[in-house]
Amino acid sequence: MAQTPQGKPLPQITDQTRPFWSAAKQRKLVMQKCDRCGTLNFYPKPWCVECGNRGLDWVEVKPYGTIYSLTTAYVVMMNYPDWKDDLPVIMCIIDLDDGARMYGQLTDCAPDKAHIGMRVQAHFVDISEEAAIPKFRPA
Amino acid sequence: MRAEVAIVGFGRTPYSRVKPGERIYTVDEYLAWAADLALAKAGMSKNDFDGQGLGVAHAEAAHTVNWSAAVAESLGISPRVLLRADQGGASASAMLIRAAAMIHAGIVDRVLVMGADTPLTIPSIAPGLPLSPERTRGVFWDFQGPFGVMGANAQFGLVHARYLHQHKNRIKPEHLGKIAVTTRYHASLNPGAIYRKPFTVEEYLSSRILSDPVRLLDCVPMVNGGLAYIVTSVETAKKLTDKPIYLLGFGEVSNYYHGSRNQPDITYTGFEQTVPEALKMAGVQHKDIDVFEPYDDYPMVVLIQMEDYGFCKKGEGGKFVEERDLTFKGDFPISTDGGQLSGGQPGGAIGGFMPIIEAVTQLRGEGGERQVKGASIAAASGFGGMTYARNNRSCVTMIFGSEA
Ligand SMILES: [Zn+2]
Repeated sequence: MAQTPQGKPLPQITDQTRPFWSAAKQRKLVMQKCDRCGTLNFYPKPWCVECGNRGLDWVEVKPYGTIYSLTTAYVVMMNYPDWKDDLPVIMCIIDLDDGARMYGQLTDCAPDKAHIGMRVQAHFVDISEEAAIPKFRPA
Repeated sequence: MRAEVAIVGFGRTPYSRVKPGERIYTVDEYLAWAADLALAKAGMSKNDFDGQGLGVAHAEAAHTVNWSAAVAESLGISPRVLLRADQGGASASAMLIRAAAMIHAGIVDRVLVMGADTPLTIPSIAPGLPLSPERTRGVFWDFQGPFGVMGANAQFGLVHARYLHQHKNRIKPEHLGKIAVTTRYHASLNPGAIYRKPFTVEEYLSSRILSDPVRLLDCVPMVNGGLAYIVTSVETAKKLTDKPIYLLGFGEVSNYYHGSRNQPDITYTGFEQTVPEALKMAGVQHKDIDVFEPYDDYPMVVLIQMEDYGFCKKGEGGKFVEERDLTFKGDFPISTDGGQLSGGQPGGAIGGFMPIIEAVTQLRGEGGERQVKGASIAAASGFGGMTYARNNRSCVTMIFGSEA
C-alpha cells in the first residue's frame, strides 16, 4: 500500500482516473461529462450513471460550489493514522455550481464558522509527483 | 411468497472485545459455533444440509477466493446451492430473500445461513484500525481516503448534519439520546450484549464528539462474533418445531436515490420503497407491528428508519421518539436485544443478522427479561454499505409473524 512521506493514503492512479489527478496537479477541477445527455459523473464512472453511455469526456468544471453537508472529525477513523496531524478535519459534501456532488475538505475556516449553505472555492494540494487533491476554502 | 418459509433455528455466539489473555477465535470457528447453536435449536445436524442450501455473508477478515465453497469445505457440508452476500449489513436479510425464493422454486428445502467476522483481529493497513486492505482498493476508496473521509462516522455524520439542517426546529440531541439510552437499557437485560451498564440522556449528551454531530455514544462498537439462522419450507418447519416464525413479507432495493442521481436528498433511504412492498406482501399495517428491530448502528439511522418506514412523517421522528416509550414494555418497542449500538457489531457485514434473530426470538416468546408481551408480528431491517456522499447502499425490510 503506497504511502506519502506523511503517511496519508495515496490513490492508485489508473488510466481511468489519471485525467482527474493530472488536472488537479495543474490546478484544474475536471469531471466526466456524458457526450449524449450532458450529465457530469463523479467519482469517475465506467459509463454515464444517468443514461448508460460509455462516451464520457473529461471537462473542466467551475471550481465553485455550496456546502450541502459537513462533519468535523476530531479523531482519525477508518483512514490512515497520519491524518491526525490535520485534525480537526472538516469534511464536506459540496454541491458544485455545475451540478455534480463531491467530498471535499474545508480548509482556512474554523469549525464553528463552517456551515451548510456556505459558498466555497476549490484549491489544490499536491500529494505526489503525479497527483493533487482538491480541497475547498470559503469563497 | 407470503408465509412460504419459516425460520426454525438461530444462534448467536458470545461476542468478544479481544481482551488480553482471551482465546481468539477465527471466522471459521465463529461460523461453526453459530451454526452449531442454530442446528441445536432446530434439532438438526449439519448433514441435513448436504444437497440443500448454505449461505455465508462476506467476511472481511476471511477474504479469500471461493469463500463460500471454502466454508462448505471447512464445515464438511456438500450443499446443492451456495449463497454468498456482500451487501454489508443487508447480507443476512438479502440471503433470507434468496433462500425463500429457492425454497419457493423447489430447488432446495432448507438453507443454513451464517455470518461471522473478526474486525478486532483483522489484517489492517493501519494498526489498531479495522481497515482491511480490501476497503482501501479501487476507485471508490481513492476518491474518499485520500480526501480525508473518516469512514462510517463521517458518512453518517454527513447524513446526520444534513438532517439537523433540514429539520432544525424539530430535532434535538435528546431525541437521539433516548434511542441510545433505550438500546443500553435493553442490553442490560440481554446477557449476550457487550455493553450492559445503563447510561442516561445526560451522559449521552456529555459523551465526546468524534465527528460532529456524531458523539461517542452514537457509534456502534466493533466486536468479534458470529450468527446463523436456518430457514426452511413451511412443511418441514412444522415437523421441526411448534414455533416456526414465518417470513410474511419482504422488500429490497440497492443504490436507491431520493431525487436526482447527482444531487439527491440524503436524509431518505430506500426503506420508503421497501416498506410498502413488504407490508403489502404480508397483508399487515403499521399498527399491527408489535416490535421493530431496525438496523441500529447509529441513533440517527434508527430515527430515519422510523420515518422512512412510515411510522411517522419525514421530520417528525424527534417528536415520535419523544412521545413513545421505546422499551420492551412500551408502545413502540425497538432494538430489544440492545441493538448493535450496545450489543456490538461483529464487523460491518454481520450486524445485519441481529435484527432477524432478535425478531424471531421475540416472536417465539424467548426474550426473557426483555420479552415484548404477546408479540406476534415484527418488522426488521437490513441496511448495508455506504455510497459516495449519499445514504446507504442496500435496504431490506422483513415482516415476520408467529402465525402464517
Ligand atoms: Zn448520459
